[in-house]
Amino acid sequence: MHHVIIGNSAAGIRAAETLRYLDPVSDISIISEEDIHAYSRCLLPDFLAGSRSEREIYFRPEDFYARNRIQTIFGSKAESIDPEQRRVLLDDGTRLSYDKLLIATGASSTLPPIPGIDSPNVFGLRHLRDARNILKACAKARRVVIIGAGFVGLEAATALYRQGLEVTVVEKMPQILPQQFDTLAADIILQDIQAEGIRFVLGRGIKEISPPSVWGRIFSNPGCGVVLEDGTRLKAEVIIIAAGTRPNVEVALSAGIKINRGIPVNDFMETNVPHIYAAGDVAETKDVVTGQTGLTPIWPNASAQGRTAAYNMVGHPKAYGGMIGLQNAVEFRDVPAIAMGISRPAGADYQVLSSYHPEKNRYKKLVLLNDRLVGMILVGDIHQAGIYGALIKNKASVSRFNDLLLRDDFSYGYLAT
Amino acid sequence: MKQIMVDVERCNGCLTCTLACSAAHSLTDTIVAAMAAKTPARIQVMPVKGKAVPLMCRHCEEPACVDACMAGAMQKDPVTGIVTNEGNEQACVGCWMCIMACPYGAVTQHPNGKTALKCDRCRGRETPACVESCPNNALRFVEVGEFAAEKAAKTAVSQLTGT
Repeated sequence: MHHVIIGNSAAGIRAAETLRYLDPVSDISIISEEDIHAYSRCLLPDFLAGSRSEREIYFRPEDFYARNRIQTIFGSKAESIDPEQRRVLLDDGTRLSYDKLLIATGASSTLPPIPGIDSPNVFGLRHLRDARNILKACAKARRVVIIGAGFVGLEAATALYRQGLEVTVVEKMPQILPQQFDTLAADIILQDIQAEGIRFVLGRGIKEISPPSVWGRIFSNPGCGVVLEDGTRLKAEVIIIAAGTRPNVEVALSAGIKINRGIPVNDFMETNVPHIYAAGDVAETKDVVTGQTGLTPIWPNASAQGRTAAYNMVGHPKAYGGMIGLQNAVEFRDVPAIAMGISRPAGADYQVLSSYHPEKNRYKKLVLLNDRLVGMILVGDIHQAGIYGALIKNKASVSRFNDLLLRDDFSYGYLAT
Repeated sequence: MKQIMVDVERCNGCLTCTLACSAAHSLTDTIVAAMAAKTPARIQVMPVKGKAVPLMCRHCEEPACVDACMAGAMQKDPVTGIVTNEGNEQACVGCWMCIMACPYGAVTQHPNGKTALKCDRCRGRETPACVESCPNNALRFVEVGEFAAEKAAKTAVSQLTGT
């Protein structure tokens, strides 16, 4: 048997190590465009901040591939797949035969289609090379504008602020973290980051990026201008785009695999083409909260999907069962926060329990639907967050301890006894 | 494989286990060192409807915290079965994904605010400190099957005798 994995991050690595654990004899190969040991994209902000070196963002030991007898085909791009012959064609012309193939190609930064987006010193933040280029550009810079106040944007903002740069974050929506947090939670977190000294421009999108002027270039001042929708002009030497991601489906397209936004897979992580599986940011899986199939581009889900795919690839049928599609933990400065599931319910059917202690920066919000927990936000005190997660995931009835859910000492004990 | 099993009925909330845990994780393995350094306990005794309930990590077969760990620090040792974020090549970064993922609420924030804190089952010590110290025999370090069989027998007796 030859298991081939395209992708060297959360889903790919978790699949590879699970394959080796389940099957000590088969060949396992990982194809990766980047020629580097598996590193954590989530730790790129720590790399930017200078708090972790390149080696310190590796998420597996240095002897990982050797110890698990995994063949690494790094620095090669998988161009296309021939599902009839069961072969992957690499960009250097090599053909690689597989028995089972896992597509774990992840996602890329989306760059909004605005004029000037291809100017120098405009970066996404997805790969180590992005982080390296940002640091190189920042060495001669004073001002950074970050476009997008989601997790990546805010992490990058705090990281570069720590490096001594003046940071401005621009967000089209009227609040930060608009995907996941409600206005109250976003406001608590915003104040925490603002207190550090980072500047925010909310509720205004960008119209264009104007390249450095002739004078600027002559006097080697590479400053770009960011023009907002209302005409405001922000000056910056470095611009980081953190406006979301899109799944890398190109190679799957070549195999005739069905694609929506990502690659939809069934409960066994199988695509519609036999012997080809998908996992991670590129895969569309079932969200246990909404029941819908969609992208869930977060680390824990990618790992679980990679692990599940591995079981099915070696012929131990194992159902994924679905995860909570939207869940995230953050701490930018002092205030930790976690949000999961339907945290901003729309409709009269939902019941919302909440408590807010402004003096302690603490906020807790639980969203219920028909006596079942479907979403939550914890700010300040994230203790026991996983219990709520388990209740959401298992669709457990909470009517028995409805009145106890908001308590600070709510624990697993209430479920077990 | 032996696990720390809890007999909730026997726990009276004396918190001796939390002290023993702190001591076992202090610099010199003593309660004095634990108090001086404010070494936090990794076992929690939570009040549940007026009853004390000890809660700690179960070192799951497929740990959600390990899946969630984006630094690779949280690992399950294939030999001992111990799940921990300490002492591995990768260092914990304090992103709290494991806290979000653990369905038992067994992972907490270290008071230093920088790393996650959880039971490491005393790193292979023959009997974990909490079990050793429990004066009520509420915590036991036994094979799961053995514990389940005892519990089944006890239930059968109480059913038959109607107590």
